[in-house]
Amino acid sequence: MTAAGRPGVGARRATLLVLPAVVPVVVVVGAALTSAALLSLGLTPLVGRPELSLDAWRATELGTSIRLSLAIAAGATAVATVVGLFLALAVTAGARRSRLLATLSSLTIPVPHLVGAAAMGLLLADAGFLPRLLGIAPADWPALVGGRWWIAVGAEYAWKESAFIALVVAGALSSRVASYTETAALLGAGRWARFRHVTLPLAAPALGASAAVSFVYTLGSYEVAALLGRPSPEPLPVLAVRLFTSIDLAARPQAAAVAVTTSALGLVAVLVSLRSLRRLAAEQ
Amino acid sequence: MSGSLQLTGLTRVHTAGAPPALDDLTLAVPAGSCVAVLGPSGSGKSTVLRLTAGLDAPTRGTVHLDGRDLAGVVPERRGMAMVFQRPLLFPHLSVRDNVGFADRVRGLPRREVRERAEHHLELVQLGGFGNRPARALSGGQAQRVALARALAAEPRVLLLDEPFSALDTGLRQEMHELLADLRLRLAPTVLLVTHDPAEADALADTVAVLDAGRLQQLGPMRELYARPRSLAVSRLLGGRTEVPGTVTGGRHRSALGDLELPAPAPEGPGVLVVRPEAVTLVAAADADARGTVVQVRRRGLRALVTVEVAGRGTEPAAVAAELPPGAEVPVGAEVGLRIPVTARCVVPPAGLSEARDGASAHDRQR
Repeated sequence: MTAAGRPGVGARRATLLVLPAVVPVVVVVGAALTSAALLSLGLTPLVGRPELSLDAWRATELGTSIRLSLAIAAGATAVATVVGLFLALAVTAGARRSRLLATLSSLTIPVPHLVGAAAMGLLLADAGFLPRLLGIAPADWPALVGGRWWIAVGAEYAWKESAFIALVVAGALSSRVASYTETAALLGAGRWARFRHVTLPLAAPALGASAAVSFVYTLGSYEVAALLGRPSPEPLPVLAVRLFTSIDLAARPQAAAVAVTTSALGLVAVLVSLRSLRRLAAEQ
Repeated sequence: MSGSLQLTGLTRVHTAGAPPALDDLTLAVPAGSCVAVLGPSGSGKSTVLRLTAGLDAPTRGTVHLDGRDLAGVVPERRGMAMVFQRPLLFPHLSVRDNVGFADRVRGLPRREVRERAEHHLELVQLGGFGNRPARALSGGQAQRVALARALAAEPRVLLLDEPFSALDTGLRQEMHELLADLRLRLAPTVLLVTHDPAEADALADTVAVLDAGRLQQLGPMRELYARPRSLAVSRLLGGRTEVPGTVTGGRHRSALGDLELPAPAPEGPGVLVVRPEAVTLVAAADADARGTVVQVRRRGLRALVTVEVAGRGTEPAAVAAELPPGAEVPVGAEVGLRIPVTARCVVPPAGLSEARDGASAHDRQR
């Protein structure tokens, strides 16, 4: 074997080693998305002749669902990002009380969303624990569960995801933020200036990445919106599941159209965040 | 720009019950001077800087800047800047924005921040580097930028925490020259922490030797070299010769014989310490003592030899001597030693000074 041949062999070997991981992902996701796309375009109907049509895309209120899903995901992610960042800062500050806070918040990570949603329902419903505790009659309690503003849904996602974001950001900050903020303090930066000019930029890549994961997860997540949301309008995943499990077989292409839309939105969100993360990482 | 710093009785106990990391340090840093705190790792020297900067609070004692007590003053309002062992340049900022950081948080107009940053970059001979990302610098350049950043903050006291110890010898030399030059031009008040006697010698006017959290000796480096007050100071400064003996009537009696001392020393047991540079090998007739070369170690052009002198009824003594450049002597050679009177210094034996330290620590605890 010649010396010049070695790098090529190394690269080929690396490709071979990656294949076991790549192949299942490409096959499963690719096949699923392709068949969903074909189904939504009327090319693989369960009954009847295949015929290219956009009927499935027009039949549902896709636009409303997209707006609703994006709004829920954006709102919950925004709250989770802010709360998660401050939790992470509290953890890295190292005071005993904030460590306790951090431990308590990280306890939410292993709780399944379904359990979280049920708990949020029991807490925030008009006959729930919170109105009882506060002595407010169900009629006077705002419609947090199943109401117009999807408060309980957003709250559940924000609560769960903030712990996840805090964990990621604290991990990224813990090893280095203290020495940088000390340096900044000695250069005359007060508390706010340190946060604005040092801590926030240092946390930004981890914060951005975890916020993107949280956004995409919330966008595609079904159970919380199904349990705590109102019947109509429906977010994308709820709409997709209802159409897919409908006894009307003609609804299947519509379900596929919703699924493809959700995946496309998630993909766009990931690509946009990857792009901005790369820029952030290049600055560091 | 430069202020005068006074540390008084500074003590820091990190965890209750543990021995103090810093014990009752009193130290003055006059305006425009450079004082080095010299000590081995774990001697509490970085604690001195952290307490001075307000990053940690002292258990006891005070820090005064220009006569003002800084107790309770947060680090950002102390008018001090620190350069650490690692440059700690903000990775998300360019070199210029790093240097302009203090001006920016002070709210100076952008244009002025930029101009001042360029000026300070030129001071550390890095003019034109402003646009580079901070992480695109070599170790030496990064440490220069860190120095420029600290100077741009116009601190009343500049704190240097082993700032050059991560650099290689050549770069360190350059940084020493740069700092000496900056001292001439800006006359900042500098409190430097280092474990390297050569660095303290090159940079500082006064050196405070710290060991186990306690001030061992304070003075110009020349004095510390010539007249160490304890075995710890002598060893820290590279002293190798330690000859136990007894002081009687201003003379030291040991395996080396009966040697006259330059200054009165307390009567009783005492250890004679001599710098290897002061000892010369001579013909037997002119010698203060005679012995056998037992070890030769190269140090560039010079050689460091250890000569063992057999005592009459006492333990043999080992004396280290540095030969002039190019001089050679084989192991096993019989040589004479000349130890100039002015180079002789007697310190208390280790056990005695430790016992004394222990007793005083015990007293304080009570």
